[in-house]
Amino acid sequence: MMQIIFERTGGFMGSKTSLTIDLDELPSDQAQTLQRLLDEANFFTLTENPPTHSAPDGFQYTIIVEDETGRHTVTTTDTTTPEELRPLLQELSQRARSQRRH
Amino acid sequence: MHNHRCSILCITPPHMLHEIVRNGSATQRDLALRTIVTSEQIRGLRRVSNSLASLVETPAASVASAAPGNKQRAVYDAQNGSGLPGNLVRNEGDPPSTDPAVNEAYDGSGTTYDLYFNVYGRNSIDGNGLKLDSTVHYQKGYDNAFWDGKQMVYGDGDEDLPTAERIFNRFTISLDVIGHELTHGVTQHEANLAYWDQSGALNESLSDVFGSLVKQYQRGQTASEADWIIGEGLFTVNVNGVGIRSMKAPGTAYNDPVLGKDPQPAHMNDYVHTVDDNGGVHINSGIPNHAFYVTALELGGYAWEKAGLIWYKTLTDKLQERSTFQEACVLTVQTAGELFGENSLEQQAVKKGWAEVGITLAAETTTPSGCLPSVMNALGLKMNAG
Repeated sequence: MMQIIFERTGGFMGSKTSLTIDLDELPSDQAQTLQRLLDEANFFTLTENPPTHSAPDGFQYTIIVEDETGRHTVTTTDTTTPEELRPLLQELSQRARSQRRH
Repeated sequence: MHNHRCSILCITPPHMLHEIVRNGSATQRDLALRTIVTSEQIRGLRRVSNSLASLVETPAASVASAAPGNKQRAVYDAQNGSGLPGNLVRNEGDPPSTDPAVNEAYDGSGTTYDLYFNVYGRNSIDGNGLKLDSTVHYQKGYDNAFWDGKQMVYGDGDEDLPTAERIFNRFTISLDVIGHELTHGVTQHEANLAYWDQSGALNESLSDVFGSLVKQYQRGQTASEADWIIGEGLFTVNVNGVGIRSMKAPGTAYNDPVLGKDPQPAHMNDYVHTVDDNGGVHINSGIPNHAFYVTALELGGYAWEKAGLIWYKTLTDKLQERSTFQEACVLTVQTAGELFGENSLEQQAVKKGWAEVGITLAAETTTPSGCLPSVMNALGLKMNAG
């Protein structure tokens, strides 16, 4: 059982977009995709770097992943995101924007 | 467009010009005002000549900066990636592209440059001809625009979603967004307002103020003709809203089942305390935004001429990194006094603007209300009791 919580704040509009995903409830191919993106980002080894400086109008992102073994939080911004984390961020952002109208 | 012939006023010392603005006839005031602006341009020239020596030492710098009035723009395409600046697609003087986002970034940064140069005598973001770099098509489904400290960055909105789910169009679509981003660069080179809490909301507000002025300048609109909407055209037809923010009526730009209601306050009583958005910098900016709007409307005519000049001079000469709303009130009133005279109509208009959003001096003073007491305090003047 794994849960991903995604939150995006700031931006030109200054609004909050969030999303919670239970991997168990997703179709297996989608769950596998997210699992793969987490692995490729080496998510659990990324340090939780609360952004000290964010670019004017840039987004701030928080990703929390929780499973039986524990909970890991990563906070990042548009201009400071490590390259290996970007595909996961992109996927979560798209899901969050997509579910706004559902 | 806004060039004026040189007159005797060109050689008139600044303090006399200020006297003329204060006491002259309407025509004299107008001429003197324009001369003050022209002097700013000359000051810009002087800055350039001062920097010639450093250009000789660092030839690379001459590539990146331009002579006054010669804007240098470049537009890059990130091709939906996050690498900046991306591939160069349009340089200064190149013919238009077939890509509307490229042309919007190019033309919009040009119009922004023109407002700053023609009206305030400022040669680009740094006052020294810095090249204006913009990147379009940043990432995929990036519903945002930002200033990264060196350049402007624009996303395409929700282009990756099915049409029915889209909320945002591309961000270059709105001229005031371009003016807003570029103004973040100006602020960075001037007051460098810290991007959180009240100083951050002031930073945001200045970007909205000059973003809106760029649009008004391009359209030739007076304060009463302008819509004072920030981000007009950003929302798709799926959204019930006219734009992201309203300076005229903060809190009314949108009201939508999905996005909710525009959360901006128009008064200090409704100041939003939050940890999100760097302490609500895009939320509480509604307060100083509305103060500017009220001032501009009170003064009438083109908002960039008087209200804009007062705010511009306050940004470049007075505001500091951790300035508060209260200090912005004091300093804009002070600037209005310096430019137009103590108790001038212009200074009264600035006071009225701040008073309408509830910016008053600390509780120890009872009368008069508004920010006058803090102004007097800042000027070292004592008030009569009662």
